[in-house]
Amino acid sequence: MKLSYVIKRILYSLFVFAVVITLNFFIPRIGVEDPAERYYPPQGNMSDLEYEIVKQLTREQYGFHVSTWQQYVNYLKGLAKGDLGTSFRPGSPKVWDLIKSRLPWTLVLSVSTMLIGLVVGVLFGVLAAVKRGCWQDTLLLNASTVMVALPSFFIALILSFYLGFEWEVFPAYTDPNMVSDFSWTWEGISRVARNAALPVLSMMVGSIISYAQGTRNAVIAVTNEDFVLTARAKGLTRNTIRYKHILRNSLLPIVTSLGMSVSGLIGGQVVIEQVFNWNGMGTLFLEANNTNDYPLMMGIMLLLSGFTILSILVTDLVYVLLDPRVTVGDKR
Amino acid sequence: MTKRLMLFLLVGLLAVSSAGCVGGRGSHRPDPNTLYVGSVQSSFPTAYMPWLSREGIAPTIAGLLYDSLFSYDEETGEYLPSIGREWYYVDKDGKPILTEDGHIDYARLEEIYSDPGYDHLAVKVIIHDNITWSDGVPLTVEDIYYSFDLATNHALSNHAGALAWTSDLKHKYNNGVLIEKGIFTYDHGALEQGYYIPPEEKDTVIYFHVNKVLGAVTPLFSSVLILPKHVWEPVVSPQNQLNSSSPNEELLYRYTHPVGSGAWVLDTAESGSQQIVLRRRPDYHLTKPDGSPLYAVDTIKFILYQESNVAIYALLKGHIDVLDTSVSSNYLLLFAKEKDLFISNAPGTFTQTLVFNLNPVSSERNPVRNLLADAEFRQAMALAINQEELIKNVLDGAGERASAGLMRPSLTDFYNPEADKLLPEDYEARLALANSILDRIVPEKDASGYRLLNGQRITFKILGSPGEQDVVSFLQIQFKKIGIDVQYAAKGAQPESTYLYTSKFDLTLQGVIFSLSNVDIMFPAHFTTLGRSSNYGRLVNDKLNQAIEEMRYTLNLNRKYELLKQIQPMIAQEYYKVPLYTSNVISVARTDRFTGYQVVEGATVFNSASLQNLRRVEGR
Amino acid sequence: MKAKRTLGQRFWQGITKRVSGAGALLAKVWAHKQGKVGLIMVSFLVLVAIFAPSIAPYDPYDVSQRAAKGLPPSREHLLGTTINTGQDIFSMLIYGTRVSLIVGVTSGVCIAFVGSILGVAAGYLGGAVDTLLMRLVDIMLVIPTLPLVIVLTNVLGRDFWIIILIFVALGWTGLARTIRSLVLVLKNSNYVKAAELAGASRWHIMTRHILPGTSHLLIMSTALSSAGIMVAEAGLSFLGLGDPTAISWGKMLAEAQSGGALLFGAWWWILAPGLGIFLAVFGFMRLGLVLEEIANPRMKRTSSVYKLFKSLDSSYVEEVFRSMDDYQKIGAAEVASGGGQHYGTGLEA
Repeated sequence: MKLSYVIKRILYSLFVFAVVITLNFFIPRIGVEDPAERYYPPQGNMSDLEYEIVKQLTREQYGFHVSTWQQYVNYLKGLAKGDLGTSFRPGSPKVWDLIKSRLPWTLVLSVSTMLIGLVVGVLFGVLAAVKRGCWQDTLLLNASTVMVALPSFFIALILSFYLGFEWEVFPAYTDPNMVSDFSWTWEGISRVARNAALPVLSMMVGSIISYAQGTRNAVIAVTNEDFVLTARAKGLTRNTIRYKHILRNSLLPIVTSLGMSVSGLIGGQVVIEQVFNWNGMGTLFLEANNTNDYPLMMGIMLLLSGFTILSILVTDLVYVLLDPRVTVGDKR
Repeated sequence: MTKRLMLFLLVGLLAVSSAGCVGGRGSHRPDPNTLYVGSVQSSFPTAYMPWLSREGIAPTIAGLLYDSLFSYDEETGEYLPSIGREWYYVDKDGKPILTEDGHIDYARLEEIYSDPGYDHLAVKVIIHDNITWSDGVPLTVEDIYYSFDLATNHALSNHAGALAWTSDLKHKYNNGVLIEKGIFTYDHGALEQGYYIPPEEKDTVIYFHVNKVLGAVTPLFSSVLILPKHVWEPVVSPQNQLNSSSPNEELLYRYTHPVGSGAWVLDTAESGSQQIVLRRRPDYHLTKPDGSPLYAVDTIKFILYQESNVAIYALLKGHIDVLDTSVSSNYLLLFAKEKDLFISNAPGTFTQTLVFNLNPVSSERNPVRNLLADAEFRQAMALAINQEELIKNVLDGAGERASAGLMRPSLTDFYNPEADKLLPEDYEARLALANSILDRIVPEKDASGYRLLNGQRITFKILGSPGEQDVVSFLQIQFKKIGIDVQYAAKGAQPESTYLYTSKFDLTLQGVIFSLSNVDIMFPAHFTTLGRSSNYGRLVNDKLNQAIEEMRYTLNLNRKYELLKQIQPMIAQEYYKVPLYTSNVISVARTDRFTGYQVVEGATVFNSASLQNLRRVEGR
Repeated sequence: MKAKRTLGQRFWQGITKRVSGAGALLAKVWAHKQGKVGLIMVSFLVLVAIFAPSIAPYDPYDVSQRAAKGLPPSREHLLGTTINTGQDIFSMLIYGTRVSLIVGVTSGVCIAFVGSILGVAAGYLGGAVDTLLMRLVDIMLVIPTLPLVIVLTNVLGRDFWIIILIFVALGWTGLARTIRSLVLVLKNSNYVKAAELAGASRWHIMTRHILPGTSHLLIMSTALSSAGIMVAEAGLSFLGLGDPTAISWGKMLAEAQSGGALLFGAWWWILAPGLGIFLAVFGFMRLGLVLEEIANPRMKRTSSVYKLFKSLDSSYVEEVFRSMDDYQKIGAAEVASGGGQHYGTGLEA
C-alpha cells in the first residue's frame, strides 16, 4: 500500500513540475509584443529594407524568429538535455554556469543562518519549554511577536549602518575581491566570514526565534503525550525522557519545516543580498529582472520550483515512511 | 547542562566573528603602479567577443584593447590618427583631392563627384607602418580589409551592429556571397580598380568606396574596431560565426584571450567576473610628441560594484582611485567634507527634452491632443518652461541651459544663437506672452485657474521613467502658471513599442545627444522618419526635411555646416522637442596617489585625456 | 414551516445581527489584555491614515514645499529632509500609513473573500471541484513567491491596484486550504447533516451554515494576512517594484538606501519608516492573534504561536501564507480528534 502511495506521489510531483515548466515559460511573455525589441541595433543610415533584414537576423540570433509554440518546444528540448538556456548577457554565458557560480555564495549565507538558527534555536526552545511560564518562556514569546513585525531588510539596514558604517566592525558592503580572490586559505575564508557577518546577523535572529518557537511547542506537545506519561510512570530518569523520547519526537515537525524551506535556502534572501551587495542567487535574479534577461529568470525560477517540489516530495515520503502514526489517506 | 551548552555556543559565535575582524581590512590599492577604477555595472564580461555589445563596461574595455582607424574630435570635427595616419578623398585615379595647403578641397570634391557616373565616393587611408598586434604580429591593411569585409558579411560575423556601422560602405554580401566590392588593397584588386599602389606601400594603403555623403566615413573610421586576421580567419566560418552564441573551444579561447592593437592588453590571469586588469603595452605605436609613452599609468584594474553607493563608499575608504560613473549632485555635500578628492563637474552632453505628440495617428487623436497640433499652443507651453529653475531644483545647479536648436552652445563653430532668440529672455515676459497666446486659444478657466476645453480641464500626461518624476513635478508648477495641468504617467517596460511608436502619449521626456558625429543619423531619425524611429510625435515639415536631406548629402563641408546652422532655428520654431536642461556629469577621483585628472565635456573623470595626463604623486 | 419574511425585513435583520455581533466581538477584544493594545494601535494607524493631510506638517507630494536636501532633524523638520529630494521625512512617514494600510487591509479582505469562497467550495462540494482547486494550490505553492511577484510586476505593471491583485492572487492559497479542512469537519456536524436531510439546497447550506462557521477564522485571517502583506509590500517597494508615484514605507527605505543615507549618516531616515512598518504589522498581528484566541480559546493558543514560528521562515511573503497552510497539519488533526491539548500559558506580552 505504501509503495503505491510513493509512486502516486512521484507521478504527481512530475505533473506539477510539468505545469510549472509551462507556466515558467509563458509568464514572462505575457503582454510583450516583441521580446527581441531590445536587441535590435539602431537603424543608423540603413534603409528601412536593410533594417528589416537586420531585425530579422537579430531575431534569429536570439531564437525569437520562430513561433512562440516552437520556442516552447525548443525550450523543452533544451531542458531534456539539461540545458537551462543561454543568458542574454554580453558574452552569452550559459544560465547554468551563472547559477553554478552564484549558488555556493547564497548557500554560505543560508546554510550558516539555518545552522545557527537550528542549534541555538532548538536549545532555546527546549529551555523555554522546560521553564514554561518563567521569564525565559515569556522572553521568547515577546521576541517572536516583535520579530515578525520587523522586516529583515530593516534590521539589515540598521545593522549595516551601525556595525558597518559608524563603528566599522564589519564591512558594510561585500568586498568584490571576496569572490575573485577566494582561496581555501585562512585569509580567503576569514574574508568570507567577515563579509558574511552582517547578512547572517540580519537573518539569524529570525531564524533562531522561529526554530526556538517551533521546538518549544513541539516539546510541550510531546510532553503531554501519553507515552511520556508512561515513561515517567516507569521511572525513567529525567534526562532519558528528555532526550530519547521528547526531543526525538518533537524533531519531526522541525524536519518538516526544514523540508519546506529548501527553496529558500537556494533562492536566498533577495532583499538581504541586495542590501549588502552579496553576489548570490538573489542578486542574480534581480540583475536578470533589470535587464529583461528571460532565460536567466526562467532558469532560476525553474530551479527553485524544481527543488521545492523535490524537497516536498522527499519530506512527505520521509514523514510517511518514518512516522507509523500517519496514515496515507488524503488529508492534505 | 543546557545553560552551559548555550554559553559555549555564544562564545563560539563571538570567536568566529572576531577572527574575521582580525584577518585584515580588505584591499587598499596594494600596487603602487596600478590605477584602481571602480565601475558600476550589473556584471562584468568574462568573454570578449569582438565588436562587443554596447552595454555595460564592454565598450570601454573594447576601446582600450582595440583601435579603430581614426578617432573623432567632437570640438573640431576632425579625425585624429589612431591606426590610420592620414586619409583623403581621392578621384578615380586615386589622387587625393586637396587644396594647395593640404586641406580637403570640398569644392572640387563636389565638382568631381557630381558626375552621375559616380555612385560612390572614393577614400584613401594610409596607416602607420609600425603597429603590432599584442601577440607581436605586425598589423597591415590586410587586417583592415578582413575586418571590414567581415563586418559586411553577416553570414560570418553574425553581428547586426556591424552591418549598421558599415551601411554606407559600398561593399556588400548577400548570404555569404560578395555582390558588391568596395574595399581595395594591393592584394585585393586595387590595381584592377585603377588605384596604383607602389609595392613598398602595399602594407599601408587601402581604398574604400562609400555612399556619396560626407557622413559616410564617420562610423567606418571611429566605430569599427580592427580585428587581427591571423587570429580570426582560421576559425571563423558560417558554422562558427564571429559572434557565436555557442562558441566552440577555439572561438572561446579567442574570446577569453583577446588580441588587439590598442595601447592595453588584457591580463587574462588576473581578470575575472569581478575585476578586469589591463596592462599597458610599451610598444604602442602612438606616443606623445616628445616620444614618451602616451599613457602614464602601467596597469588599470577595473573593480565591479553593483550599486553606486557601494562604489562611492569604496572610494571614500580608499579602495579605489577613480569612480567611472556619474553621480548625482546630492553627493557633492558628502565629497566636500573629504580631502584628497578631485571632483569633476563636467558640462554634459545629455539634453533632456519635452516631446509633444503633435501629429498622432488618426486612431489616437482626441480633442485635447489636437491642441498640441497647433504650433502656437506649443509655443505657449515652451514659453512657460524655465530652464534655470529646473537646473536649480532638479540638478542642484549642476547643469547648463540647453539650446532650442538642440546643438550644444559649447560647440561654438556649429551652434547657431539665432535658434534661441525666438523667445524673450525674461521669464515674466515669457509668461505674459504665453498667457496672451492661450487666452486666445483656450480662454475658459476653472476655479483653480486651469484652462478648460469644452468645459473639461485640459490635462496632459507626461510619460517618464520613475527617476523623472521630479522633473514632471517641477514642470507642473511651471505649467500651472499658464493654466495647463500636467500629470506624471509611468513608462512601462517597453515604452517604445507600447506607447511611443504608436502615438499613445501626450507628452514625453526624451534625452538626446546631438553631436557633429551623429547629426547625419540623428536629425532624420528625430525629425523626419515616420514609423519606428525617434520621431515620436511624427513631425512632418517638408522644408525641414529638405534641409536635413541636403545637409546629409551635400559633399561640400562648408555648405553642410551652413545648413546645420540653418536647421537649428527651424527646429526651434517647431516647438516639438523643447529642451529642459543639459545635465552635468559629476564624477570623482582620489588624488592621494595620482594627480593630473582632466575634465572632459560629457565624460567622467576616467577619460583618455586623464589617462594620458596622470602622474604618480611622489612619496606614496 | 417558517413564514417567509420580506426581503427588506431579512436585510435589516441581517444588518442588525451583524452589527450587534461585531459590537459584541469588539467588546470581547477590548476586554482581552493584549486586545486593548492591538485595538489601540490599529485605530491609531487608521486615524493617522485618514487624517494624514491634517496631521502632516508638509505635503510631500507638493513640490513647492520642498526644503534643502539632507537636513538633520530640527524643529521645522521633525525627522529632517531626504537627501535626494528635500521632502520632509515626518510627513512622508504619515502619508506612508495610507499606502500600507490600504494595500494591507484591502488585500487581506480580498484574500479572505476569495479564500473562503474557494475553500468552502472545495471542502463542501468535494469531488472534481476539490481536486482541481487543491491541485492549483499545490502548483502555486511550489513556485517561489518572491521571484513570481517580481516577474508579475514586470509583466503586468506597477500600478497600485495591480499590486493588490498580485498579492491576492498569490495569497489565497493558504487560507483556502485552512478553510477547506475546517469545512471538512463542519460538513459532518449535526446541524449540517440535519439541514441536508431537510432537503436544503447546497448553496443554502454553504452560505447559511458553513460560511458563518468559518467566520472567526476569516476575521482572524484578515488581520493576520493584512499584517503579512504589509511586510510584503514594504519589501516589494524596497526592491523598487512597487507603485512609483505612491509614498510608502518600503519605498522610503529604498530611497534611503540608494540616496546614500548610510553614507551620510542619516540614521533617522532609515529608522522612521522601519518603525512605521513595525507598528502597523505588530498592531495587526496582535489584533489577529487576540481575535483568534477569543474565537477558540481552547486549542488555538499553541497553533497560533506555531503559526508565528512558521511565519518567520525564509521569505517574508511566504510567511503568513505558509502559516495558514501548516495550521491545518496540527489544527485539523486536533479538530478531527475532537479535542485539543490544553496548554498552560497562552501569549503573554
